[in-house]
Order: sequence, then C-alpha cells, then structure tokens
Amino acid sequence: MLLVTAILATAIAVLSLPGRHVWAAEDPIDTMADQIDSLIEARLRAEGYEPSELCRDEVFLRRVYLDLAGVLPTVADVRAFLKDDSPDKRIVCVDRLLTSPRYATHMASSWRNVMLPRSFDREQLNNAAGLQNWLRNQFVKNLRYDNLVAEFLVATGDGTSGPALYYTSLEMKPEKLAASSARIFLGLQIQCAECHDHPSDHWTQRDFWAYAAFFSQLQEPSEGMVNMRVVDRDEGEVLLPDTEEVIGPRFPGSSVESDSEFGTRRSQLAIWMASRDNPYLARAAVNGAWAQLFGRGLVHPVDDLGQNNPASHPELLKQLATYFTKNRFDQRLMMRTLVRTKAYQRSSELTDPAIPDFLFGRMLVKTLNSEQLYDCVTRAAGTEVVTSGMVQDPFLEPRRLAFVSRMHRQTRDATQYQVGLPHALLLMNGPEIQAATSPQQSRLIRGLAAPWFSDEQRIETLFLATMSRFPNEDERREVQAALNSVPLEERQAALADVLWALLNSGEFALNH
Amino acid sequence: MATSLTRRSFMQRGAQLGAFGAAAAHWLPSLAQQIASDPDRKRQCIVLWMTGGPSQLDTFDPKPDHANGGEFSTTETSVSGMRICEHLPKLAKLADQLAIVRSLSTKEGDHERGAHLVRTGHLLGGPLHYPDLGAILSKQLGDEAAEMPNYISIGSPVEIAPSAFSAGFLGPMYAPATVSLLGGENDDNAESSFVELGLDYLRPNGGVNNSSFRRRMKLWRNLQTGFLQERPTANAIAQNTAYERAIRLMRSEAASAFNLSAEPDKVREAYGRGRFGQGCLLARRLIERGVPFVEVALGAFNQNDPGWDTHLNNFPSVEQLCGRLDSGWSQMMVDLADRGMLENTTILWIGEFGRTPNINDNAGRDHFPAAWSCVFAGGGIQGGQVYGKTSDDGMEVVDAKTDATNVLATLCTALGVDPNDENYTALNRPISLVEGEPIRDLLANSS
Repeated sequence: MLLVTAILATAIAVLSLPGRHVWAAEDPIDTMADQIDSLIEARLRAEGYEPSELCRDEVFLRRVYLDLAGVLPTVADVRAFLKDDSPDKRIVCVDRLLTSPRYATHMASSWRNVMLPRSFDREQLNNAAGLQNWLRNQFVKNLRYDNLVAEFLVATGDGTSGPALYYTSLEMKPEKLAASSARIFLGLQIQCAECHDHPSDHWTQRDFWAYAAFFSQLQEPSEGMVNMRVVDRDEGEVLLPDTEEVIGPRFPGSSVESDSEFGTRRSQLAIWMASRDNPYLARAAVNGAWAQLFGRGLVHPVDDLGQNNPASHPELLKQLATYFTKNRFDQRLMMRTLVRTKAYQRSSELTDPAIPDFLFGRMLVKTLNSEQLYDCVTRAAGTEVVTSGMVQDPFLEPRRLAFVSRMHRQTRDATQYQVGLPHALLLMNGPEIQAATSPQQSRLIRGLAAPWFSDEQRIETLFLATMSRFPNEDERREVQAALNSVPLEERQAALADVLWALLNSGEFALNH
Repeated sequence: MATSLTRRSFMQRGAQLGAFGAAAAHWLPSLAQQIASDPDRKRQCIVLWMTGGPSQLDTFDPKPDHANGGEFSTTETSVSGMRICEHLPKLAKLADQLAIVRSLSTKEGDHERGAHLVRTGHLLGGPLHYPDLGAILSKQLGDEAAEMPNYISIGSPVEIAPSAFSAGFLGPMYAPATVSLLGGENDDNAESSFVELGLDYLRPNGGVNNSSFRRRMKLWRNLQTGFLQERPTANAIAQNTAYERAIRLMRSEAASAFNLSAEPDKVREAYGRGRFGQGCLLARRLIERGVPFVEVALGAFNQNDPGWDTHLNNFPSVEQLCGRLDSGWSQMMVDLADRGMLENTTILWIGEFGRTPNINDNAGRDHFPAAWSCVFAGGGIQGGQVYGKTSDDGMEVVDAKTDATNVLATLCTALGVDPNDENYTALNRPISLVEGEPIRDLLANSS
C-alpha cells in the first residue's frame, strides 16, 4: 500500500510538472533533475522559504530561447508552442533548440566573451571572428568539453586563427596566460599570486609561477605578425620575480614537478586539464553552465571558485561535477538536464518575503547582453540583414559590431544592468530603434499595414513579436485607445510608437 | 530575513528623482554667480586632448637656438622669462595661469598604447580593463542622479582607441557621453560658418513629432509599471532609472547647453569657428551647468585631418593647429575667470605623447614619448611656472623627470580628489584611482 502510494505520488509529481515525459520516470535526466530539485528545495525549506510557482508556457518559451539560442522566439514559434497541448512540449522544444545552429552560435558568443573579456579593436576583428567560428564548430559537434579545452590549449593557429588570438591578445606572456587560463578553465583567481602569496587563498607565488611555466616555451610574436601562429619551442623558463631561481612546471594542487620529456609543455598541461587528476575543470564548467541558465553561479562570482569562496550548495556542485564527468563532459546533456529542473522553470516574480538570490527559489531576472539585445530587436522588428546564397557571419555585420562595442558591459553578472545615460539615449534614439520603427526598414511594421488585419490582430502580433506573449486586457485597451486617437493616415506611425515602447521596455531588455 | 525593494519604495525613489529634475530645470544665469561663490561648490575638470600627439618643440618647449627647434620663433609671455611658441599669442597673455610641465617621459610610442597609458595610468593589455581619467574623475566628482551626463567628451577619437576612452571595469555607467558635429564630417576647416555640435542620440534619428513622443512615453510608462510591480529586481530598477534619466535630459532645459546658437556671434567668433573652438565654448557652457568632467579634443585623426600626428609637413599643420588651440583655450579661460569659475575648474592640456626633436626627411616630426610636455591651468594649480627641463636638443629630460601616473595624480589632487582612493573590480579587488605621486610644485597652496 505504501509503495503504491509512493509510486502514485511520483506519477502525479511527474504529471504535474510541465515538460516531463509522463512515461519516462526512469529517464536518467529526470532522475538527475529531481536530485537537483531535492537539494535546492531542502535548502530553501531549511532557511524558511517556499519555492515559487512554475512559470507559464509563454514565459518558459521566451526564457529557454534566450538562454539556449540567445534570441527571442518568432511570432510563429510562440503561437505554435501555446497551441500545442502535448505534455512533453517543453522537452521537445528544448531538444530542438539544443540542436539548432543558434545554440552553437550563442554558446560560442558566450565563450568568446569569457575568453576575450576586453573589447577587441578593429585589427583583431577577423581573428575574433576566427575564434567565434572555431568555438561554434566545437558546439555544433558537441565536442566533449575536456577535449575542447585540450584542443584549445594546444592550438597552433594552423588552419584556423581562432584560439591563436587568445594567445596573442595576452602577448604570449606566461604570467598573463596563466592567470587567464586558470580563470577561464579552472575557475581560479590566481593572479594575485603573481607578485605575492594569495592573501586569502592557499596559492603561493611559487604555485603561480609553476603553473605559468607551462606557457613559458612559446615563441615571442614577431612585429606586425599577419599570419597568427602560436609556435612551441623547446626552451624558455620562468623565474621567480626578483630572483634568479628557475621555477619548473607543476600542476595546480600537485606537489611534484612535471618533468615529462614527451610533448610540448602546453600539451602536458592539456593532458592534465582533461584528466581525472584535475578536480577543477568539471566544477568550473558546471558552475558556468548553471550561471548561464540561472543568472548566478552556485559559486558567485562565477569565475572565483577558490577555497575562500564556498558554493551556496556545495553538495549540489559536487554531484553536478560528478554527473558531468560520468557523462563524458557532454555540455548539451548538462544544459538539457538543468533546464528540466523545476528550479529552472520557476516564475521570476518577486515573492513576499523575497527569497534571497543564492537560494534559487525563484528564477532570477537576467539582463540580456548586448549581442542578445541586438539580435532580439532585429528579429522582433524584422530588420535582420537577410542574405541569400552565401551565409554571412552575423558576427561581422558592421551595425551589429558597432552596437555591441558601444554597449559592451564589463560584468558577467547577469543580475546587474550596466547601462549609462548615453546608452539609454542610444537605445531610445539610435539607428537600431529608428530602423525598427521605420516602415521602410521594419518588416514587422510593413507587414502590419496589410488590410486584412484587424487592430486586435495587429496588437497581438506586436506583443507576440516582442514580449513573446499575448497582451492582457488592460494592454489591449490602452493600445487600441492609442490607435483610435490618431487619424487613419497616422495609424502606421502609431503602431510604430507601440513597437518603440515595447522594444524599450524592461520586460524586453530582461530575461525573466 | 532578506529585504525586498518594494513597489512603494520604488515609487518614492521615482518621485524624489522627479522633484530634483524639476528643481534643476529652472536654470537662470544669475544662479551661476551664486554657485561660483559657493565655497562648497564641486570642483570641475576640463581636459584638452591633443589627438595624434602634439609637438612640444612647436608649442610649450621651444628650442629656438637649436637646429631641432624648427621654423618657429618664440614669444614672451605675461610671466618674465617664460617663452612659448609665437603662434600662441593669446595664451602667452594668460601665462600667469599656466603651469607648463616640460619633463614628461613615458614609454609608449604607439597611438592607442600611448593614449591608454596617459589616460588610465596603466599599460595596455592584461585581463583588467582600466577606466580612463574621465571615468575615474567623473565618478568621484559627479552626482549619479544628475540631469546632465557626468562625463562629456567632445570630438574625442573614441573609435580609434576604444580602450583608452572607456570606463573599463567601472562599467558603462561611467562611460563618456559623446558630442559630435551635427550635419556631417566637416570639421575644423569650416571657414564660412560656425560648426554646430550635438550630444549623440539626444534626439530621435530622423525626428519624431511631439504627439508621437507623448504616445511613446505613455505606453512605455505603463509597460514599465506593470513589469516593475511584479519584478522590482536590481536590474529592472536600474534599467528604468537609466531611461528616466535619459528622458529627463531629453526634456530638460539644461540640454539647451548644446545649443550654441544661443551665444552671440561675437562670442562664438572669439572661440574659433571650428570644432575645437566651438567645443571649448560648449565646455564653458557645460561647466556653467555643473558637468564635472568635460573633454575637448583637437584633431580628428583621419586621412583628411591627421590632427597633431604631423609626420609630414609639421610646420604648416602645427601653425594652423596652434591658431585653433590659442583662440579656443584662451577664450574659455577668460570667460570662466569672468564668471568666477576658473578657480574651481582645473584644466589639463595633453596628448598621447610628444614628437621627435629631430625633423625627418618629410619636414615632419615622428612619435616621441621620451621627453615631452603637458600644461595645467586653473583651479588648484600654481600658475606662471615652468616645471622640469629638457636638454638643449630636446632629446632627453634633464631635470625633474616625471611620468603619466604623476600627471594624473596631480590632476586628481588639484581637483580635491585623493589619488589613493580606491575603486573595486567585479571581483572586489581594490584598485587605486591613480598610482602616481602628485607633483607638489604644481599645486596651489590651498589644495
């Protein structure tokens, strides 16, 4: 009897969560998702909070598009999803997104921004595009993450200029490459140890230089290097600053010098990176994936996983890292698992009392980055550059580049909104919004002029294109009143005004 | 228990901002007099940025007795013994206000790298992206809720060296609001009429009529209210605040500062008709309206106008540049002094590096960071002096050698800002505003 009740309860729980295969309670992804939820919810209840409700379908759709594809769903996508009444439509939608070209592009953009945190200048543009392409190819193939890192670390620039830019942007300097690669792949902030033992962590200056020694045998870039290549030599050492002492290569956390004669120093590091001896790689990767979806890492800030900065949910981080390792560093599977949790599918509305961000009892509101924002505005208004025949890399589109570089933000923390007065003016009055609201350039505004549309349909379409939802009653009434207040020949201008207001709203600029 | 920013407190905050906006909008010229005499008045800063790297030998460190000195002779100034280039006669009369530094020595001879070093105090490269002097100082001196932007940059070559004209890790809130020429690329060569300047994107591209604007605002406000009621999160509130500030500026009377045609032609003429002259006039108007940091650049740095990057035919170019510099800068100082505002406004004249003392085969001068000049003036500065010395051929500093970080620290100190104050990076690492030491000799006794 007890057992039957338990099974029934499970079945009901599974049924009640939108986006679960009703028949697939055994699905290992569901099992892991449930495990994540039980850890999150146990902590919430221990702190005296109840988790928020699950979000509605239209909210889920918009969220998952922005998080996995970096762009809004189209009007047709929203309509189809809301009409679909199959119980597993959330899962089907996620699977489709994860294998879409947009997923690979979005993941590549995210990683490029992590690898090249400073905005790059025009001379570096083609190489930045090379890095973007290289990364995108890896995500299209869903290359195991450990292999991706290894390939990145031994890249020579032959055949692709992608990862080479990373090395040259850090001037091939061992200390800079050490600090940066430790931050990106290990989630370790070891740069303070360049000059002195880390004040709050256990990294010594010696540890830092021992790690930097893996990058000490790169050939100096020559003046005006056009063809960027990274060349390994068989000599070159680092010295402990202000001494003559040579520091040999040693892996983080290890006490033994790596004295292998096989392969270059970088290839030794690459092998260690991907090995089971490296506890940091999987932890940093799952924390990054978590932050991309939840707006905040289990360890926060997302790239500071040192001993001094514990995770909000240490056991969860550990289990996720194990899960990721056991599943052969499959990034797509990681994403698929995380978005299937209830934690990911919760509403972002603020509750009273407000649940602290680090408990993940509601979805955090995430600020779109400048690339997402540009892509969303152009998709919503139908002002994307349409190319036929040869596929143009949207990354190289001049208008997009100008917008992105002007709006570039410095933080990886999506719960911040870093926009100043000049940027707000750009968004309100700049060329992107002008194009979006111009009947000559905006396919949306032009399309709405069709005589067979009713005003009601026009209003609906504007909301579906921008907010990925239907307007509520108040909104319908208000917009209709605005349209009624102008003479017929100004209708198109009034519709453009509605679109302006929608594109400049907080609801549009934030992923909720 | 965690606190939440409720809708109520959000609305109160909005109301406060609104009240402040209304008060600030009623600007009257007479108020300028009162503010100027207010002992608590905030200090302000104007940087005159010499795009391309100005020739020290043909401006403030002339060498008329050496072959490297070139074609120009010198003029005496209002300070006995201080001589500057003959093409700066109006500034010569104000020399008692100027503190010339002739012993600046830096290590970067590339435009972007040099500009980065001079403006941030740090070498370009590495993972940390440092803020420039405008971002650092406007953050210290400015009011985050001010009607006008705190950092306004007029004609600076932001596109050429983006990392040197940026708020770096401080984030876009501290980035410059840029001012460009209205109506095209025509610039300092304008002879026939005055150039007009405008804050970028202050008005909709192509124009939007009033009823359209009102309709947009009404719909937008309703959407904002709905979303903020349900999700008054930090980023949603920050988004709303940034927009409200931009809207307030679009509607404000203060934005009329950009309308230079409000000035009599005689005044506009005195500043010079081109972008730099009119930029100096605009700088004065912005200082009058309390903007804490204004930069005016001289030189466009493109093929038509290489600015101070005079690899070819140095002398005719520099003569022309000096003419613009002399009129704009001197008239700005005179006007600020008339209004009692010069004593609270510190001015720094500087570029990314100096130029070679030896003249090349194209009658030009090349990049030279080893020994060059910058000039301080105005508030907190002990004018009427020359600091440091270069050798007779101008090739090296022979007395009181100093560097970019010390210049930045001096600027901070003259403005009443402690260079040892700290900003925090995203990872809460403290970073000093400036790492150099102020040059005490340049500072007025009171600061």
